[in-house]
Amino acid sequence: MAEAAIALRPPLIAGDKSIAQVTHDVCAPMEARPTALWWVALLISSSFLLLGAAAIAYQISVGVGTWGLNRTVGWAFDITNFVFWIGIGHAGTLISAILFLFRQRWRTSVNRAAEAMTIFAVMCAGIFPVIHTGRPWFAYWMFPYPNTRGSLWINFRSPLVWDFFAISTYFTVSAMFWFIGMLPDLATIRDRATAKWRRKLAGLMSLGWNGSYRAWQRYEVVYLMLAGLGTPLVISVHTIVSWDFATAVLPGWHATIFPPYFVAGAIFSGMAMVLTLMIIARKLMRLEDYITLRHIDRMCKLVITTSGIVGLSYGTEFFTALYSGSSYEQFVFLNRALGPLFWGYWTMVGCNVFIPQLLWFRRVRAYVPAVFLICILVNVGMWFERFIIIVTSLSRDFIPANWFHYAPTRVEVATLLGSFGLFFTLFLLFCRFIPVIAVAEVKGVLKYGKPQLESAHE
Amino acid sequence: MSAPRPKPSGLLQYLGSPFVTLVLVTALAFSLMILVPKFNAYALPGNQLGYEPTQPVAFSHRLHAGELQVQCLYCHSGAEKSRHGGIPAANVCMNCHRFVAAPLGAIHAEDDLAKKEKREPRRVVSPEIQKIYDALALNEKMQPDPAKPTAPITWVKVHNLPDFVYFDHRPHVNAGVACQKCHGPVETMERVRQVEDLSMGWCVNCHRGVDRAGLDGNGNFTSAPAPAAQGPVPVTHRVNASIDCSTCHY
Amino acid sequence: MSKKRTKRYWKSLKERDAAPDVLNARADEFPEGGPRQFRRRDFLKATGFTLGVAFATGCSRAPVQRAIPLLSQSEEIVPGRSLFYASTCAGCSAGCGLLAKVRDGRPIKLEGNPQHPVSRGGLCATGQANILGLYDSQRLQHPLKDGKKSSWAEIDHEIQSELANVRRDHGAVRFLSGTITSPTTRAEIREFLAGFPEAHHVVYDPLSNSALLDAHEQTHGVRVLPRFHFDKAEVIVSFDADFLGTWISPVGYTADYRAGRDLDAKRVSYHVQFEPRMSVTGSKADRRLAVAPGEMGLLLTHLAQRVARKVGAPFVSPELEASSVDSVFLEELADRLCRARGRSLILCGTNDLQQQLLSNYLNHILGNYGSTLDIDKPSLQAQGSDKELGELLAELQDGKVKALFVYGANPAFDLPGGDGLAGALRKVPLLVSFAQRVDETAALARYVLPEQHYLESWNDAEPVSGLVSVSQPTIHPLGDARSLVESIATWNGKPKPAYDLVREHWKAEVFPRQKKESNFDAFWDRAVHDGVAEVESLPIKTREFNTQLVRPILKAQRPETGAFALVLYPTVAMLDGRNAYNPWLHELPDPITKVTWDNYASISPTAAQRLGVVDGDVVRLENDGGSPEAFELPVCIQPGQQDQVIAVALGYGSKLSARFAKVGPQWLDAIISVGDKGVVGLNAAPLLRLSDGVLQYDSAQVKVSRTGRQRELASTQTHNTLTVPKKLTPPGSGARSVVQETTLAAYLKDPHAGVEDHEEKEDLWPTDHPYPGPRWGMVIDQNACTGCSSCVIACQVENNIPVVGRDEIRRNREMHWLRIDRYYSEAESGQIEVAYEPLMCQQCENAPCETVCPVLATVHSEDGLNQQVYNRCIGTRYCANNCPYKGRRFNWFNYAHDDQLQNLVLNPDVAVRSRGVMEKCTFCVQRIQEAKIEAKRRGERVSDGAVQTACQQSCPAQAIYFGDLNDPNSQVSKMMANPRRYRVLEELNVRPAVGYLTIVRNCSQEGKEESKEEHHG
Repeated sequence: MAEAAIALRPPLIAGDKSIAQVTHDVCAPMEARPTALWWVALLISSSFLLLGAAAIAYQISVGVGTWGLNRTVGWAFDITNFVFWIGIGHAGTLISAILFLFRQRWRTSVNRAAEAMTIFAVMCAGIFPVIHTGRPWFAYWMFPYPNTRGSLWINFRSPLVWDFFAISTYFTVSAMFWFIGMLPDLATIRDRATAKWRRKLAGLMSLGWNGSYRAWQRYEVVYLMLAGLGTPLVISVHTIVSWDFATAVLPGWHATIFPPYFVAGAIFSGMAMVLTLMIIARKLMRLEDYITLRHIDRMCKLVITTSGIVGLSYGTEFFTALYSGSSYEQFVFLNRALGPLFWGYWTMVGCNVFIPQLLWFRRVRAYVPAVFLICILVNVGMWFERFIIIVTSLSRDFIPANWFHYAPTRVEVATLLGSFGLFFTLFLLFCRFIPVIAVAEVKGVLKYGKPQLESAHE
Repeated sequence: MSAPRPKPSGLLQYLGSPFVTLVLVTALAFSLMILVPKFNAYALPGNQLGYEPTQPVAFSHRLHAGELQVQCLYCHSGAEKSRHGGIPAANVCMNCHRFVAAPLGAIHAEDDLAKKEKREPRRVVSPEIQKIYDALALNEKMQPDPAKPTAPITWVKVHNLPDFVYFDHRPHVNAGVACQKCHGPVETMERVRQVEDLSMGWCVNCHRGVDRAGLDGNGNFTSAPAPAAQGPVPVTHRVNASIDCSTCHY
Repeated sequence: MSKKRTKRYWKSLKERDAAPDVLNARADEFPEGGPRQFRRRDFLKATGFTLGVAFATGCSRAPVQRAIPLLSQSEEIVPGRSLFYASTCAGCSAGCGLLAKVRDGRPIKLEGNPQHPVSRGGLCATGQANILGLYDSQRLQHPLKDGKKSSWAEIDHEIQSELANVRRDHGAVRFLSGTITSPTTRAEIREFLAGFPEAHHVVYDPLSNSALLDAHEQTHGVRVLPRFHFDKAEVIVSFDADFLGTWISPVGYTADYRAGRDLDAKRVSYHVQFEPRMSVTGSKADRRLAVAPGEMGLLLTHLAQRVARKVGAPFVSPELEASSVDSVFLEELADRLCRARGRSLILCGTNDLQQQLLSNYLNHILGNYGSTLDIDKPSLQAQGSDKELGELLAELQDGKVKALFVYGANPAFDLPGGDGLAGALRKVPLLVSFAQRVDETAALARYVLPEQHYLESWNDAEPVSGLVSVSQPTIHPLGDARSLVESIATWNGKPKPAYDLVREHWKAEVFPRQKKESNFDAFWDRAVHDGVAEVESLPIKTREFNTQLVRPILKAQRPETGAFALVLYPTVAMLDGRNAYNPWLHELPDPITKVTWDNYASISPTAAQRLGVVDGDVVRLENDGGSPEAFELPVCIQPGQQDQVIAVALGYGSKLSARFAKVGPQWLDAIISVGDKGVVGLNAAPLLRLSDGVLQYDSAQVKVSRTGRQRELASTQTHNTLTVPKKLTPPGSGARSVVQETTLAAYLKDPHAGVEDHEEKEDLWPTDHPYPGPRWGMVIDQNACTGCSSCVIACQVENNIPVVGRDEIRRNREMHWLRIDRYYSEAESGQIEVAYEPLMCQQCENAPCETVCPVLATVHSEDGLNQQVYNRCIGTRYCANNCPYKGRRFNWFNYAHDDQLQNLVLNPDVAVRSRGVMEKCTFCVQRIQEAKIEAKRRGERVSDGAVQTACQQSCPAQAIYFGDLNDPNSQVSKMMANPRRYRVLEELNVRPAVGYLTIVRNCSQEGKEESKEEHHG
């Protein structure tokens, strides 16, 4: 019986590796000199980062006026990017927390990278709420602290304040999750390290991990608890972000559907981004055996599911508008589909609803370049989703005399590119200095040694 | 691993225990909770508490307001009618100093000296008061001297508020708030010193109290006609110091 | 630097006189104490010290502030308190009364004088903006001779000696000025010119009404401008007279007009407007017909003929050409006029003698003289004579004039002559210009004498015969300027200060004209206090109406096919260009087109289609006479304009506007505010024509051709519609109810007519805001509002609103807290109707902005204000996004306040907002605070009317009501109870504290609500 099960299911890790091999495979790229390809990638991404830094410096020194905003459209690229990055950040915790609780063992080869991505994405997102303010040097006023103003607190009714807490919590927990999960591997690095500084550093980071039974046992408990903590956050963060809009009076923002809609969208874009990165990573670091087609296949399935939810939400929005009987509401959605920004709307629908349908076909899911392309498109689509929601609703609201269009300036575009620069720079450094794959966990899912377990759990 | 350390004896042995750590942490937390709201008692940036600049004329509030019992509003008449308390114009000083040119002691001394030297006593003018005469370009006979230029006295402002704060003396003075409540015991000061930190918290907390209790504790508008015996106190007769933002910021 | 310095420098006298050794000691601050090495302890000391310093400076004190009291303080002057001085506006010759708010010795705001019979409390946008001229750093500070700085003594001497020569050899002396209503000044000039054998005073108005006066000279034998009484008129027929916008005395006329349209008294005048372009007046008309300028005369004749027939007056008009207006309507109009004999008013704004004669004739046979037109107490607000101007220009051309004085006029700019005229002016041996700035004419003059701003000097005015008003200085003169009367008095040989001159003239001339007061001093004091004195008007001998010269105009001159009739018109902001220096007025959106910082060629949509141009396409205008240079202007498509008319605004392109090259924020993508010529807009005066003795504004024909270039117009309201674009219209939804209106007929049936939803809703929730004291609210009567925009400027002055420049406006970032939305709609008759909606922060009770601000920078006050705390705001712009009215404004940059002199105009009671901060209307909270505090000081509650917002105060139509909604007897509460009251976007339940009163159009057709579909802007 068990034998049969094994025969049916291909192993999670291909080319049946020995434990030692796993360690070697994952650590090799870190110990070897970086490849030319890596250098090129780093050069490109870091130059984008610099461009973005320059743009932000200019904007802060001169004023928000250097963006294409106006008295009708008060948010555009800034908040779009913010929501976009937060969304990207979702897959990490999802994979590491929810899939962990659901005992999805295949996650082991991708969770490390996914969590890293989460943290970097949240970093990128975190920039925007700060720089979008007119006086960034006072942005800390959003934080409640005792002061000499008698005391003057913050407006706990404001979704922006909720955001502040949601995101900082999310970031902290994800970071801890990531770090705790890394301990055994850091210890491995320490023990393998030949260079003195590397040993010292890894030693310091691994908090004196000694691989004892007790260490392992506690480690497992902590990890489980953190997973429990992380799970609600996956839902909460984007729910709260969506309230930024849902609690407003603007037609097109004021919608009860937003929380689930945004969370699904976030997971959707997150998954797509994870796939994109994993596909790059397995090429760059030659990890085809660990991130197998099977992993890709699973994630594709997640992508298409969430794509379905997102598509449904798009439809529902129109229905609610129609059903609401509010001409403002109805106008906003007609305006999205047929108004001046129709192209943006249809890009979003195309990329998020139609194109992912290709993933129904096993052949497409098995053909990596296709998957890669689809994922890129999904991310483009998701960026446009946020852009459309924010800009179309603002630019044409209640009083026609206020209607105005929006066009980004060079500074804004540079800032967007900069955030991508930051993201990829960090990710490349991560690939270089930290095991991209959770070595210890992967060893746990090796066929090696425990056939009956395998069959029991899958 | 080096040789095992000798086991610490006495209290020391508890140092490492989590209990002590816990105690210390809670202690720290509590002390912060007490200290932080008191921050405005410390000179944070912009806090001018204790500011006591030297003035162009060594005018003594102790002498005028304290010893001689000159009413604050005699010189700072603006406080009743205007946003600014106002620094008296030189001609207000002249109301008295047209006649008072020097301390009595100095004048007596001069008289005695004159008697001794068998001559007419000279007119004694204290150097500080002379500054007023110079400002108004007056000659010995207290007549404006066209030859001399007039030059108003440039005082140094002691109580400064940020530009975005619109403080108005009128409601405070007319509601019977004693000048000393904000300016401190000026009548005891040789040179005026800032005795309150003038932070927003300081203003607002007073307003909160007044809003509830009123100046005389039972919601009455002290210096104005007393409220009707029965029925609710009319709006205008309540003190109700507002804590709306637009009371000071607009 | 090896060379030893011998010269000694010192920072202060103390230092200079200090003993040298002190100085030497200072020289070597760190004396060398033998060899010593830096030890560990020293290092620690140093570190400690540095840290100490770091902390110390970290907690450094604010910079020292000085307080300089007055030397001797009079009773009334209390620092920090404002005083109001009555004076007279000199912004134009209308002579409205104003109150100058003087704070700490400087005027900071001009308000209408409610006691003044001419303006009756209103003050127009230009009048309000005039105060900026006082603090204009480019104003002349001293007299100029040949463009170089000079002294009064020198100039007086030279001019007097030159005049002596002129007098000796009987040279011609001319005094050229705009209309002067000041009796003192006129007397001085008269006396001055009397001293010369060959001299006289030529008066001209760049916006001329010469024909109107000439017509009365012919029909009544006196060359006067009648005083119109719009309040007495039941039927008003205006032929291209923009009397609510720019014509003669708009503020006073608006007040009268509004009085004549009193819905509560159920007496509403019927106003018909014939005009080629959409004017402010036309936008308020009950019936408006777009007719080509060439057809005005014909229409007048048509009307005259019909009315004459009905009243049985002899008026022969054989083979009269048919007009484009359908005769049924004219018939009907004639009937209405005859029914309202003696209570009707015919106005003609064209500068054409024949047409004016016809309109006089109409008024005559309708018996309006003596009732709605008063020529016994005529208006003196326009006195210009184009005939005399023509003669003077001729004299100038052949160099007859030996001495020319130019005052209050800028012929080199606003007359058609162009370079020819400039040359002629240069030929004048003695050309003296009295000017505040070096304008086009002053640049040619040999002597430029800086004229004082009217807020700096004593003067008077008699805008209407029998109403003499005083203008008094409100500030010590800035710079070395001198008023005209003083200069002339000096040259007359008896130099005196203006005060004496005015006072003496009053004693001699004005005082005797009244009986009430026997003591002159008392009379004078009251006049100065009130700002105006009513005396007997100057006697006038009118002749029996002379019909001989009235001739029918049988044909219309229509432009030949393909060509356009060019109409040159003044805008509310620029008038004849006298305000070209004023950034506020350049940034003031035009009431109709909403365009700022430019003039443009406006054409009708049909014509635009024919030419294949869209907004902002630059077109070339070629004068059939061949204009000096080809005029290239961006197109602005104007609904309601006659299809064969192209209209261009006068007053732009003045060299005074060259200063705006640097206005607005300078950054990466900034575009400068001035055009390619370095000035704002283009001067259209060269297209004017001075022929058959009058300045003609609408006689020229132009060919229009595309240039293919684009110049985006900076408009504060882009073309958008109340019924959204067809393809985006949700099924079954009509026009948005943002503007609600009805017709008089419907209103008389049901006062609620046109109001979408007038029931007060019950609220299930307990109210969040109890409002123990007052609750401030506002009601705006859209029926009264004429869109004149004086409120916009009033708000800008009162609240220190910055000027942001053309580029920022183009990016939809204007800062005006109060904006006037303008919507077009098309009635069944096909006539384009206009609806104005002044919109500012609505101070909502359930304010969407308040809930979303993370830092509590905008919160509700206990008296119903939606407070905005600038110093707490961090600029997330969430509030603005969430505002359904978009009533909030954001400081995208640090908008410049770096002109120190100009900053004197800033209101000390309102914070100047920094970059990155949200700002908005708070019902002039500084005024509310002042009133509250004063009331409390007197132990009273704030009385109704004690608080007047800036916009309310200045409104010539009294369309704005403000007060305490908790006080059932306050005017605003009564207005809130008015059946016409509605709230904008009431359905959102944000509960705005601002109510609006429906527009009620006095037009015949019923059930216009259905036809209200096509609202477009």
